[in-house]
Amino acid sequence: MSESILKLSGVQKRFGGLQAVYPLDIDVAPHSIHALIGPNGAGKTTTVNMITGVYKVSGGTIEFDGKDITNMKTYKIARLGIGRTFQNIKVFPNMTLLENIMVGGHQLTKIGLVRGIFDLKGTVAEENMLREKAESLLDLLGMYDVRDHLMKNLPYGRQKISEIARAMMTDPKLILLDEPAAGLNPSERAELINVIRKAYNNGYTFFLIEHNMDVVMTLSDDITVLSFGKKIAAGKPKEIRNNDEVITAYLGRAYAKS
Amino acid sequence: MKKNRRLMYYIIAGIIVLLLPVIVRNEYWTVVFVRVIINMIVALGLNFITGLIGQMNLGTAGIYALGAYGSALLTNKTGCSPWLGLLFAAFLGLVIGVALGYPSLRLKGVYFSLTTIGFTMIVQIFLNNLTGLTGGSQGVQHIAPFTLFGMAIDTYVKSYYLYLIFALVALFIANRIVNSKWGRLFRSLRENSDAVEMMGVDIASVKIKAFCVCAVFGTIGGAMFAHFYRYISPATYTTDVSMNYVLMVLVGGIGSVPGTLVGAAIITILPELLRGLGEYYLITFYIIILAGILAFPNGWIDAGQRLITRIKSHNTVKQKGA
Repeated sequence: MSESILKLSGVQKRFGGLQAVYPLDIDVAPHSIHALIGPNGAGKTTTVNMITGVYKVSGGTIEFDGKDITNMKTYKIARLGIGRTFQNIKVFPNMTLLENIMVGGHQLTKIGLVRGIFDLKGTVAEENMLREKAESLLDLLGMYDVRDHLMKNLPYGRQKISEIARAMMTDPKLILLDEPAAGLNPSERAELINVIRKAYNNGYTFFLIEHNMDVVMTLSDDITVLSFGKKIAAGKPKEIRNNDEVITAYLGRAYAKS
Repeated sequence: MKKNRRLMYYIIAGIIVLLLPVIVRNEYWTVVFVRVIINMIVALGLNFITGLIGQMNLGTAGIYALGAYGSALLTNKTGCSPWLGLLFAAFLGLVIGVALGYPSLRLKGVYFSLTTIGFTMIVQIFLNNLTGLTGGSQGVQHIAPFTLFGMAIDTYVKSYYLYLIFALVALFIANRIVNSKWGRLFRSLRENSDAVEMMGVDIASVKIKAFCVCAVFGTIGGAMFAHFYRYISPATYTTDVSMNYVLMVLVGGIGSVPGTLVGAAIITILPELLRGLGEYYLITFYIIILAGILAFPNGWIDAGQRLITRIKSHNTVKQKGA
């Protein structure tokens, strides 16, 4: 396998006396879908927050695309090419879907505030670029027809997908999805799987945190399993499915094969 | 057809604004209109912070005071042109923008508002007590008026026209920013700043930019005030003034440029119309504003538009019926 796009080496997090994540190694291969799973409180979201710079790590290093990003500022990490969605969605409810997506492309544009006041031609060109890019993304994900709706009027499932689109708008090399299927009904979940697949086929790489085995097993190339802050298994979906320790962590000792 | 009609409305409104002092021919009302213009500029600035980013800035009076004193003191002490004073006021605006922008990064909601009230109070205390520099509660007198091509802008009507040009420039700038990617970014900050940061945007720098624009509009408005009245005193710049600017942003239509203009006009003109009520005029004014906010939560402009479409649809129904 070639060089990994995201590499966690011995990354750990302590909150006071609580060890939330024990030294953890993860390698995300380029153009893959890597899932991080584990029961509630396993430290999945903490891991994502360390990758994105929201939390400082208590030890270890995080390398992204060959650069050390450990404890960098969130917006700088994002600029290097990590996009993210949130467990409890963080959209802009009083703006239209198209505007939501277009904000994602802000960092791709160059014209500053003062120049923008007088550079009529340049701003129109930039605005058209953003709009076209956002529209083509929405078209790809099947939401072009509702682009002028206010975000708050869209169903929950579509809001979640629009967060993925907004992250895609930043031209990321890696997108972290924090429980994208949480709170979705089965048909929305199917649409979500479809959307992630489509994005993957268009060259995006995903790091997926998920509870829903349906989604994980369908999508992932590689899986890492956390339980109580410790990595208990890593491998292909097939291996994970038959791993005793994973079954014990999820279902209890009684269900593990003796 | 529709576009032509719209253009016609704009032209008619433009002509009315242009001829206003000639139509009214009343010094008192000309002063009111000049105040409307100044307030429009300050409110357009505040709109970036309170309207778009959604942080309740109650420090406008302090910004406004520093602009007025900065320009007035510079022209009075050095005898330089008021235009230089105006430039100095704009520079002060940038400094204030950075100074107020930083606390806004850490303070949310009520705590930020309290900080800005504190800022206004500190400014007022300094103006009152640095008697050597500011003249204390006596204020600054004999402030030079603007001059244009050797002509002193020393009458109300002349000021009206000069300030109208200022307002058009401010309107152009505000309109460009609000309707650009920057305006969109400011609004997204109001909605959810965590998400914005995750898109690679340096929130600190964006917020400070917005505060700078806001404060520059405010200090320029302050300088205009100083060179118009030609006398300023600390008693003018109370937190009540800041409240009124927030009302201007809220009443017309939050975040929109036309809304802010209408808000500034309503909040400035309405009390003058109610003066006939004697000592009841202020309470009547605030009751009307409060009722307005309750009745038109989306602003007076939105209410007006609804009324017009309602009348129109009513008319078409009538025509069909006949």
